[in-house]
Amino acid sequence: MTTLERLNALFCEVFDDDDLKIAPEMTANDVAGWDSLSHVNLIVAVETAFKIRFNQKELLTFKNVGDLLNSIENKIG
Amino acid sequence: MGNDLIQHEQHNIGEICTRQQCAAGRGDRVALRFIPAYGERTDYSFLELDAQSNRFANLLQQLGFVEGDVFFTFLPKLPEQFFAFLGALKLKLITGTLFSNFGDDALLDRLGDSCAKGVILRKSALKKLGRIRNRLPSLRYVIVTDSDVDLAPDILSLRRLLADASAEFVTPETSPDTPSVLHYTSGSTGKPKGVLHCHGSVLHQSRTAREVLDLRPNDIYWCTADQGWVTGTSYGIIAPWSLGVTQVQYGGGYDAEIWFAILEEEKVNIWYTAPTALRMLMREDPGIFGKRSLTSLRHIFSVGEPLNPEVIRWSRESLGREIYDTWFQTETGGILISNQPGLPIRPGSMGKPVDGIEAAIISDSGNLLPDGEQGNLCIKAGWPSMFVTYLNNESGYCSKFKEGYYNSGDTAYRDADGYFYFVGRNDDVINTAGHLISPFEVESALLEIGEVAESGVIGAPDELLFEKVIAFVSLHHGLEPSRELELKIRLHVTNRASSIATPQEIVFVDAVPKNRSGKIMRRVLKARYLGIDAGDISTLED
Repeated sequence: MTTLERLNALFCEVFDDDDLKIAPEMTANDVAGWDSLSHVNLIVAVETAFKIRFNQKELLTFKNVGDLLNSIENKIG
Repeated sequence: MGNDLIQHEQHNIGEICTRQQCAAGRGDRVALRFIPAYGERTDYSFLELDAQSNRFANLLQQLGFVEGDVFFTFLPKLPEQFFAFLGALKLKLITGTLFSNFGDDALLDRLGDSCAKGVILRKSALKKLGRIRNRLPSLRYVIVTDSDVDLAPDILSLRRLLADASAEFVTPETSPDTPSVLHYTSGSTGKPKGVLHCHGSVLHQSRTAREVLDLRPNDIYWCTADQGWVTGTSYGIIAPWSLGVTQVQYGGGYDAEIWFAILEEEKVNIWYTAPTALRMLMREDPGIFGKRSLTSLRHIFSVGEPLNPEVIRWSRESLGREIYDTWFQTETGGILISNQPGLPIRPGSMGKPVDGIEAAIISDSGNLLPDGEQGNLCIKAGWPSMFVTYLNNESGYCSKFKEGYYNSGDTAYRDADGYFYFVGRNDDVINTAGHLISPFEVESALLEIGEVAESGVIGAPDELLFEKVIAFVSLHHGLEPSRELELKIRLHVTNRASSIATPQEIVFVDAVPKNRSGKIMRRVLKARYLGIDAGDISTLED
């Protein structure tokens, strides 16, 4: 399973939508329910699933799914 | 403007906001400038708003909806939100709006309690609704905005329905006491309460938009509130359009760059937003707003939770504008206490009662308290936008009134010059980012999780959100806290209640303090969290 596929599964779980298909250019405006509060759920889910941690500075740089994906890939090597 | 609001005794909000504006010669004026998160903005004139809402009224009528039926929107910010809302009101339906991030339980409580007959939503919300549908026997029609075809005999395509719906509709005569808008609000115990308003509320909403928000005929107005809450309907739909004013609506979420671009490029004159948003803006790079020309912006207003004095100072220094804090509740339907242009601002104060409103500070024993003393913030009953009942809970409604005053549930005091100051809630309701959260609802959701033995939920002060939701959780014997369990808890509360009810912090404890009757002692939890004295704990269970 690619990182994108694993991340997609997390999006489906966090946003309660089995049909969700993420893409790097997608932002919070493209996903129903992705607000600043559910974003925390997403980050906790990503950190737990990939066994990584983001610091506050990193979190502020995520502008879209692609930024999040890149950061995950950098961390898991 | 405004003096001719009620014509021929027609109080119908849908009619006043659309056809009446056209009849007054404003048909070609832009009513709604909708700016989607992506793509081109679309302008809808008052003529188009009238036609679109007429088509909606017609399609609902063809489906068999009649006066008094309950219809909800469950949509993010989309043009259909506005057309559906006004169309349903034209047909004299009781019309509610649901915050689009509500979870299953929140939906079930609201659709179930109101015996809603119909709801309009996006396809992505069908899964949520599907999980509770069998517990909603009154729900006959689900209308989907983004499907070309019907998905089931009772899950209908809006596009298909609109294709057959006429743009002509004659709004029936509507008296001021005809039920209109329904919003649910959280209390400290029990299920959310259905706050019902009547069409006559438009009188107060329109007047306060003119006299407090200072809306003028050629203004461009932007209210950032979501239509799922009372500000989003009272001042994000009804008030500006009752005055024929153009309003901007942005379909995306908070984004400082985009928000300031909208203020500048759309030449917004009056901006009504929330303290949490303003506090977020304060934290942004000053270059974001420093490069923007806000010459059109006349006033900024705020509502939802108390406005910190430092936000007022920031706005004066960084934006060169005052921010006027306003106070109202779902039950009040419109602004009752306010700062406003012409009234010197006292930072930290919610302002003075608006004309015609009598506010008082009253003790628990029912005595009027002198200036400077804290007590219950109460409003003399009878203002035009006063709620008329809690749906199916008349005793709860009656309990809010005593000696002719409505008890707001807020604690406040008044200074010698008549300015009111918010102190706190006199119940356990949590105000997070301007949204009221019932600790009971969150605790109930937490107890549904297999690992959770007990839960207690409080609000704690937060620099950004005003209050944050803190959940104390004790686990069944032998279980240990983990990151996975924390995630499970978070997602469960989000999906059952809503994202705004999701705890900002989860504190795992051995036991949740209760009194000898088994009632959760939230006061003790709060004191522990804040590291302060819990006061009298003689009733604490051993």
